[in-house]
Amino acid sequence: MELLSNLALGFATALSPSNLFLGFVGCLVGTLIGVLPGVGPIATIAMLMPLTLKVDPTGALIMLAGIYYGAQYGGSTTAILVNMPGEVTAVVTALDGHEMAKQGRAGAALGIAAIGSFFAGTVATLIIAAIGVPLTRLALLFGPAEYFGLMVFGLGLAIVLARGSVLKAVIMVVLGLLLSTVGTDLETGQERLTLGIPELSDGVDFAVLAMGLFGIAEILRNLENPESRNVAIAQIGRLLPTRAELKRCVGPIVRATGIGSVLGILPGNGAVLGPFASYALEKKLAKDPSRFGRGAIEGVAGPEAGNNAGAQTSFIPLLTLGIPPNAVMALMVGAMTIHGLIPGPQVITKYPSLFWGMIASMWIGNLLLLIINLPLIGLWVRLLKVPYRLMFTTILLFCAIGIYSINNNPYDVYFTAFFGLVGYVFIKLGLEPAPMLLGFVLGRLMEEKMRQALALSEGSFMTFVERPVAAVLLVLAAAVILIAVLPAVARSRQKAFQE
Amino acid sequence: MAFMRAKLLRQDFLGGLAILAVAVFAYWQARHLPTAAAGGMGPGTLPKGLAVLLGGLGMLLMLHSVRSESMGRWSVRGPLFVLGGLVLFGIAVRPLGLAVAGPLAIAAAAFASSEVRWRETLIYGILMTLFCIALFKYALGLPIPLAPWLVGY
Amino acid sequence: MHNVKRLACAAALALFSTASLSQAYPSRPVTIIVPFAAGGPTDIIARITGEYFSKALGQQFVVENVAGAGGTTGITRGAQAKPDGYTIMMGHMGTHGAAPALYKNLKYDPAKDFTPLGLVAGTPILIVARKDFPAANLKEFLAKVKDPAAKVKQAHAGVGSVSFTTCTLLTSQLGAKSIVAAYRGTGPALNDLVGGQVDYMCDQIVNLVEQIKGGSIRAYAIATAERSPALPDVPTTKEAGLPAYQVSAWNALFAPKGMPKDVAAKLNATLVAALDDAATRKRLLDLGSVIPDKAGRSPEALQKLVESEVKRWDPILKAYAQ
Repeated sequence: MELLSNLALGFATALSPSNLFLGFVGCLVGTLIGVLPGVGPIATIAMLMPLTLKVDPTGALIMLAGIYYGAQYGGSTTAILVNMPGEVTAVVTALDGHEMAKQGRAGAALGIAAIGSFFAGTVATLIIAAIGVPLTRLALLFGPAEYFGLMVFGLGLAIVLARGSVLKAVIMVVLGLLLSTVGTDLETGQERLTLGIPELSDGVDFAVLAMGLFGIAEILRNLENPESRNVAIAQIGRLLPTRAELKRCVGPIVRATGIGSVLGILPGNGAVLGPFASYALEKKLAKDPSRFGRGAIEGVAGPEAGNNAGAQTSFIPLLTLGIPPNAVMALMVGAMTIHGLIPGPQVITKYPSLFWGMIASMWIGNLLLLIINLPLIGLWVRLLKVPYRLMFTTILLFCAIGIYSINNNPYDVYFTAFFGLVGYVFIKLGLEPAPMLLGFVLGRLMEEKMRQALALSEGSFMTFVERPVAAVLLVLAAAVILIAVLPAVARSRQKAFQE
Repeated sequence: MAFMRAKLLRQDFLGGLAILAVAVFAYWQARHLPTAAAGGMGPGTLPKGLAVLLGGLGMLLMLHSVRSESMGRWSVRGPLFVLGGLVLFGIAVRPLGLAVAGPLAIAAAAFASSEVRWRETLIYGILMTLFCIALFKYALGLPIPLAPWLVGY
Repeated sequence: MHNVKRLACAAALALFSTASLSQAYPSRPVTIIVPFAAGGPTDIIARITGEYFSKALGQQFVVENVAGAGGTTGITRGAQAKPDGYTIMMGHMGTHGAAPALYKNLKYDPAKDFTPLGLVAGTPILIVARKDFPAANLKEFLAKVKDPAAKVKQAHAGVGSVSFTTCTLLTSQLGAKSIVAAYRGTGPALNDLVGGQVDYMCDQIVNLVEQIKGGSIRAYAIATAERSPALPDVPTTKEAGLPAYQVSAWNALFAPKGMPKDVAAKLNATLVAALDDAATRKRLLDLGSVIPDKAGRSPEALQKLVESEVKRWDPILKAYAQ
């Protein structure tokens, strides 16, 4: 009952004409900026934050949330259309989404992404409203040892994620882990593998790495094979998925929503795992796993739903504990603080209309996105008809400006060019960049959590066994890795015997 | 000899070799980092451990390379001009500003495609740059230099 | 032909601009380099001050976030900029105090390579612990920290962060050695403090105030001379029995060295006025900041502060590295 009255308060706040307008503007502008290649959600929010300064705190938060959703959806659009994931979670979308685009099914990929996100957003909003607060307390039980288990589990998923050779996938994950150690050591302040370049002292930026390995390398690949890209441009495909495709996506969307919501609540940025977990799960459940990576619509629907659910529920640690779980949320804290509103455990009681208004605006934002984006799909797809010789230079320019603007540092542009070259070499050597990217993201968290756990246990590895949640997660992780690796080992042994 | 060459040109052999080289380089770079500290793990534990693991995996890939595909063709034109365009942008953006770096990057990158057309590229590059200036500099107010040599910012 | 003329004009203008600068300053937008990412405490303070400057001087003061290497990347760029008044920077206790001890290859000298413009705000440092830590007050807490058998666990936000430097100061004053866990940023560290995985940390008030008010962590002391209006119940370190522990994450405006005197004076005058402006004051105070008194706002006072901070941090942080 209380839930209903809270939600009523929320909707009354969020549906006031001015707040509705701000939400709409946020979604629209967020989408339009986020869709530029090279401009990920973090960059989009940072760029658009000043726009919200002139509005009252509630309106500003609603607008910021709109910008965030818009930027995320815009990021998925670039991931699908030009294979440029601007953030971690869009990497998975790019795997099958871009394949679909190449096959002339860009419309369906964009459509299912919007639909999946809307469903996930709706459920996640309800979850936040109903049980968000008690769940946060549960999530606090996660200490460094538990997160370490979770990250190892994620690495197992990274191997499942790959298509083709398991050995190569393991190599790429390890390479990503190694790359994640570049930068100043948190504990001692020593420089590690920075080659004496000061710009590397904070490590490699994720956006730089993803843009180079995926985006720039994709341009180079397209320049070499004019055939592959012409197909995508010639055929748009229908803008909405077929009934059969929709039906195939119901299961993945529902499962991914559950996974994403749970992971998003964890305050240690568990949300990054959502899309990967969903993808790996659907690939294992599929009758024909080989379709994944070759344009399977479930490979877009699931991760997009998982991503959006996690994006939504990751507001919970922010709003209830005042602790930002990831870089985007840290930016949100900054934006709130500028308005004199410091997020924390008291927000709900002190500003109920703001809290519930924001939650209601999450659902409204998702609805607005659906309304804004379905017609926009036609526009994006039409943009792809620009001759490639002009399009790739444009993408490159946006990319250069976007990457430069992250830190206003030209070095980031040079590093992007370097990783573009690396990505090109990977293509030539038949190595997949996706597992490396996941290894990179999880590696940094994994090392931090492992060293924190060991520091707190004074160097005793028993901490991973004595803490039951950590132990269970590690066992699960081991199982996932074994399931991923064993069949391949068995197969290669079989082949060896045949020779 | 012919056998050796065929084997060397295989994708996975070169791939494994490259991975091995990266691993050796990383280990060498990490050689001075201590592997033990008060907490049980030092700053060097993971870099060195991962480098060793990666090197081993690289060698394994080389051993398994017998059946892999042979190398495809490598092109020089695409990477040279696309990456060159990015680097030129990075070099030009602070001293010369977006007004110069934009057309420069587009013009350089355009040569990566064999379909390049001079006049079109030039006009398009200037139009695109104007659009970006309007969007990023004025609409969004980003602190990206416009043309310091002309207007001072 | 016309274009050539215009170019020549522009070149001539550039040449003489330093001479004619003072009357017209500022005649175009001014960049404030913030050496940290958007959204952090320094960024917020810079945006609040920048807004007043824009209004008062009739030109946009644009924040440029140049993050990296504990803020030294952005300050290095600022130190090398032209001292024409169009690039200034928001320095910080880390970049202009602790950095020389932490970064061996630092390319600037905080005391020599800048024109100090004035202190903007001090951000008080708090000593906080998990809410069920078995100590009723600061004295009991310190006794626990000093006792090796108690195995008290400290969290910090990464070597070089404010939370790291200020807590290192605390343990070095106590001569104690805690079990230390390093986190990437205040967020994750605070998370484990609220969750009870670690025992205590030190950090800036703006990052902690809501958790303290909400009762999810407890504060033992605030390291300033006076109590903060944002947390009137938290005693100062002096009241609580640790008077030597006085530390603040201050933010101050600097320009590159060699800036024309009249431009520097104009900027300092604007800063002094900003800190007297009711709206600006309120926004800074809402963050828990301490606004310097009239004497503390002068360039000379800032120069003195920088010199004393560099001297203070050097032995403490170098001892930690060994």
